[in-house]
Amino acid sequence: MTLPARSVPAQMLLDKLRRCGVRFVVSVPDTHQKSLLALLDGVRDIRTITCCTEDEALCVAMGMWIGGAPCAVMIQHAGLYACVNHLRGVGLDLKAPLFMLIGLLGRDVDKPPRENSGSMVRLAEPLLDTLGIRHYLVDGPEDVHLIEPAYRESLSGELPVAVLIGAATA
Amino acid sequence: MGMARGEALRAIAQHRGESVVISTMQVVQPWHALSPSPLNMTCIGFMGGASTLGLGIALARPDRRVAVLDGDGSLLMQLGSIATISGAAPANFHHFLFQNGVYETSGSQPIAASERIDFAQMALGAGYRAAYTFDDAGRFREELPGILDEDGPVLIVLKIDLVDEQVEWDAMRVDARDESRTVRRALLGA
Repeated sequence: MTLPARSVPAQMLLDKLRRCGVRFVVSVPDTHQKSLLALLDGVRDIRTITCCTEDEALCVAMGMWIGGAPCAVMIQHAGLYACVNHLRGVGLDLKAPLFMLIGLLGRDVDKPPRENSGSMVRLAEPLLDTLGIRHYLVDGPEDVHLIEPAYRESLSGELPVAVLIGAATA
Repeated sequence: MGMARGEALRAIAQHRGESVVISTMQVVQPWHALSPSPLNMTCIGFMGGASTLGLGIALARPDRRVAVLDGDGSLLMQLGSIATISGAAPANFHHFLFQNGVYETSGSQPIAASERIDFAQMALGAGYRAAYTFDDAGRFREELPGILDEDGPVLIVLKIDLVDEQVEWDAMRVDARDESRTVRRALLGA
């Protein structure tokens, strides 16, 4: 991990989603990733489905997997806390391959997430650990290569995998 | 007074065709008994998830009709899902709501505003293409084929009696994880 965490250009993330073959992004809008959401608004090959809650987003993603449509879930850390039961039920019990991009809004980019003073950032990784969910930290353009293997891991292992976006996307 | 749950389910089973059907809570067992199929999916363990599970399948497979058999308590738990569904506007989506006014599983405590709540109005307000309410099984059977021919999203509220048939389906057991794989294989032809 190289600190401070740096912004990843939205185009770079979009390119990675395309490389994964993602056809849908299922989102509860995340301020941290708003430049990516704005970019997605203008593309035709990936459709964004806006949900009211993260619970819904996980269920939509599972339904899409059942129907054979590759998708990514985009939420914020607060949403991760909000959807713990659905994440458990859909991701762990039903073993849905949920690929999640989770924004660490408000992070002090000079510190690792676990050493941040704010609980929303500090507890995200420990919560995922508690649930036994694999996670990867994208702390700058040099980490973007983690995204595609994380997506493939989710799909092939039929399990939830989280990619934490360490700094607001550019 | 409403109709028996079994009567409503039999009518839906008769017209399901090749639809994917997502059931939840009290309709799970009778539905599986009345309409066994590799296209049945169950929402268990994450209450309120049936509607958006169905939405995901409907969006992934616009060539396939999707029906959700929801409960009133369940829908209230994720009420925002009707806005999400309306926003995504799946034409192949029919949302059946079994309304008995109570949380039956936990001992029939009344749902909030059980005497006044109007789900059809809420669905229309959220932007569903159409919404219907039935409390009579005969009329429901008569109108169902026409409703299923309409583009969705459509909400069909079914007023259900609390006293229900106690029959053989009490012993039915389903494994939602296995079912999800079965439905996926059936849809993907794998």
